[in-house]
Amino acid sequence: MYSTMLTPETWGALYESADFATLISLLKKTVYGPYLTAVEDKDLTPRRSVYQIKGHLADAYVTVIYMVPESARPLLIQLYRLFEVDNLKAVLRGVATGASWDQVRYVLFPLGSFTVLPAQAMIEEESVGAAVELLRGTPYYSTLSHAMERYTAEQSLFPLEVALDLDYLRELWSDINRLPSRDREQALRIVGSLIDMNNLMWAIRYRVYHHLSEEEIINYTVPFGYRVRDEDIRAIAAGADIAQVVTRIYPDLADVSPLFQEPRSGLPQLELRLQRRIVKQCRAAFIGYPFHIGIPVAYVLLNELEIQDLTVLIEAKSLQVPAEEFQLHLVMS
Amino acid sequence: MFYPQKMTEIEIIVPEQHVLAVTRVLAEQGVFHQEDARGYLRLEAGLKSADYWREESSAYASLERRILAVMQGLEVDEGEPPPADQVSMIEIEAVRPAVERLEQETRGLIEELTNEQKKLEQLQRYIHQLEPIADMDVEISALRNLRYIFAMLGIMPVDNLERLHTSLARIPFVLLTLRKEGRQAVVLLLGAKCNSDVLERAARSAYLNPLSLPEAYRGTPAQILETIHADIERIQQHITERKGVMTELHDARTQQLRTLLWRVRASRMLTDAIERFGRLRYSYLIVGWVPTVHLENLTKRLHQVSDKILIETNTPKRRSERQDVPVALDNPGILRAFQQLVMTYGRPRYEEIDPTFLIALTFPLLFGAMFGDVGHSLILVLMGGLLVSRKIRALRGMADLGTIIVICGLVATVFGFLYGSVFGMENVLPALWLRPLDDIMQILMTTIGMGVVLLSVGFILGIINACIARDWGRLLFEHNGIAGAVLYLSLVGLVTEVFLNKMLIPPLVLIVLATIAGVIVMFSEALSRWIGGQRPVVEGSIGTYIIQATFEMVDTLISILSNTLSYVRVGAFAVAHGGLSAVVFILAEMAGSTRGIGYWIVVIVGNLFIVGFEGLIVGIQSLRLEYYEFFSKFFTGGGMRYTPLTLLPRTSR
Repeated sequence: MYSTMLTPETWGALYESADFATLISLLKKTVYGPYLTAVEDKDLTPRRSVYQIKGHLADAYVTVIYMVPESARPLLIQLYRLFEVDNLKAVLRGVATGASWDQVRYVLFPLGSFTVLPAQAMIEEESVGAAVELLRGTPYYSTLSHAMERYTAEQSLFPLEVALDLDYLRELWSDINRLPSRDREQALRIVGSLIDMNNLMWAIRYRVYHHLSEEEIINYTVPFGYRVRDEDIRAIAAGADIAQVVTRIYPDLADVSPLFQEPRSGLPQLELRLQRRIVKQCRAAFIGYPFHIGIPVAYVLLNELEIQDLTVLIEAKSLQVPAEEFQLHLVMS
Repeated sequence: MFYPQKMTEIEIIVPEQHVLAVTRVLAEQGVFHQEDARGYLRLEAGLKSADYWREESSAYASLERRILAVMQGLEVDEGEPPPADQVSMIEIEAVRPAVERLEQETRGLIEELTNEQKKLEQLQRYIHQLEPIADMDVEISALRNLRYIFAMLGIMPVDNLERLHTSLARIPFVLLTLRKEGRQAVVLLLGAKCNSDVLERAARSAYLNPLSLPEAYRGTPAQILETIHADIERIQQHITERKGVMTELHDARTQQLRTLLWRVRASRMLTDAIERFGRLRYSYLIVGWVPTVHLENLTKRLHQVSDKILIETNTPKRRSERQDVPVALDNPGILRAFQQLVMTYGRPRYEEIDPTFLIALTFPLLFGAMFGDVGHSLILVLMGGLLVSRKIRALRGMADLGTIIVICGLVATVFGFLYGSVFGMENVLPALWLRPLDDIMQILMTTIGMGVVLLSVGFILGIINACIARDWGRLLFEHNGIAGAVLYLSLVGLVTEVFLNKMLIPPLVLIVLATIAGVIVMFSEALSRWIGGQRPVVEGSIGTYIIQATFEMVDTLISILSNTLSYVRVGAFAVAHGGLSAVVFILAEMAGSTRGIGYWIVVIVGNLFIVGFEGLIVGIQSLRLEYYEFFSKFFTGGGMRYTPLTLLPRTSR
């Protein structure tokens, strides 16, 4: 399965493609071909193309979930559930802004029958509260119905989204801890790094963009991870120099300070660098002893990041963004 | 029965005016497997576009959901689908007002009930929060208006408790967890009034929802609880009244709702199907597959509804290389239960033998040989019979499993007579064949022999499959083809002669045959490429190829050995069954040597344990022998699922 990932030569050709149409015709010759040819060319807008190629990731996840041993399955299902959480957030945003189903459907990740969300029915509801009520019986209801009190008071989706994210990460962490020891070690290295990245970026963004107080930042983050410790998050929350904290966590990350001089452009760059570290860790999982959970996890995450890069390429080519601008946003290359 | 049903590819060209009638016939017949033909031709001009049908389908889906919502509100179930010929398509504009009317009629009542239900839940939450402080002789309002102390009583997620503690580390505070229930905790947060900003921010960001009692609830917690209980009683009474009205509405509207639902659902199915048709200039192109046996009837029905229809058919041969032929299995009654076991492994490909009849024959045989006991098996038969009878509502979906259990139980009963075993007692019935515990070697050798026979059948089926697929390389050279079979049987012959000292074929002949077959299997990949005209015959260096081929040969020999020896487990389990039963009686003797109540309790519990535990293990082992030893010789699987278009699917989208 790993061999179906795009080769450097294919990436080169995609990167050099003259425009969106050429890019799509090249992609049709890859593993994404069947997903793109399922739709008539005239309907293949950039958004629809991204939606279609995500179908490959969905299939990869489902295959891997059924392939792995019983003990590893909950973690992979939980990783896959991230897309459901993202879909749920998108649907709630759709409801809050009064968007139609047609506006929302292709923004969602194509989970097929692997979802408990009545997405279309939720979109057709008039209020966020009514949409949340449709989630009764799903794992999201308890979290959201409790957070609804804050939504009602603040009329902002922020508390709902944060509650969903925190709940998701806690579940992910407990799934890691339920693994047998060898698998746990591997999962910690990769998934733990993913949690680190999210947690750290949240803490920084809450402070830099949202100007939240120390206690709020602490409550909106999690106290676990692979390299990021609770002390680091608390230090950021308490107003410590962020660059210093980041350097302490990742001593190999060079030139961190300039990133915080212009956070609007610096923070996405920091996130990109952290994602590249995850790519390295994923690739490293394929070296050495092969019978551990690191391999399927790394495979699906690499696929996910591959699609993230393809999304950048698709959008860049359709908007005719020059290469020197969009290449800054690519993770895999 | 031995192969998937013969399929015919069908292409239909339909003028626009007949498209609905034709689609309806296709859906009504329930035999047409539709292919997506949207990509075939794109010359649409005068036709309604794919988008039009997509929108229609989406509108029907939306109406269907709304009807289902009303039905859910009134607790009306879908009921049985009506006969297909009594369901007609319904125009969206005709059905929309009816749905709106029904919604209007029920919405108020449902909303009223939902609101009352919500009020009840809210009151329960108040009770939940107040009960832990019920014995406090303080007015709740006093807690709100403390002069120097900040106090907040409320509910928060248990998961956030630790984080809330951490977030308040810099200031003095007290966080009391009064009660935990599920994922929620009732807490009381106390601190200095001067820190109320920090405390409030921390509480809010930890999702601590404070208790906010309506003004009407005054007094001490105990007094408020009393008032709340009175309110709950009043609301419950109101709910009962409204439910009475709802029952009347339920009875009055059930039929109308069901009729609407099925008509809208059928309309949705039809528009969904049309969306996937290809489009010519003035007509639609429908592509799909039909079991050949139904073709004549279907074409006749199609010509009846449209005289301008053009139908082209093509029945591909089984050996054709087409991978898109859907596979419809057609096994008679009792075999259908075993079909599920095959499907769990994989759907046969179109050109492949359907192994259902073989599994129906061999699975009970293997199970029976391992589980042979008259008493235990008859209990299994009874349990299986209970599942088949569908008398237990929750187990209705397990009727097929029940059939398998009944058949396995009956075969195991026969083996029970052969082994002379009833409820683990070996001295009640005479053994018609042998007692496994007394003739261990004989039963082990017999079951290995049984394995050899089954594997040989597997080889023959593999050869037939390769023949049909015209895969000459696999047929002649591979380890599951003729060369593999010769190698296997020669080795079996040699081993038999060594152990049984019976010379049927001279050993030299067997050694020569095994050597030649072994060499052919070893180089099967190169030979297959050679016979298939593929060049180069060996990819990469010869040295690497020989090393790889040698290792593969070793693997093949180990597989041959392990596959055959795997069947020892059949005998071993028959022995273990006797052993386990003996243990039960030893334990029973220990529990009550005078054969009192203790003795019989241990005997009954022990026997039930054997039926459940050993039954499960033996079932798994039988399945393992089928899947890993037997199927791997001839069965590939991976066939495409046959999903005929239907007008009235039972489950909604």
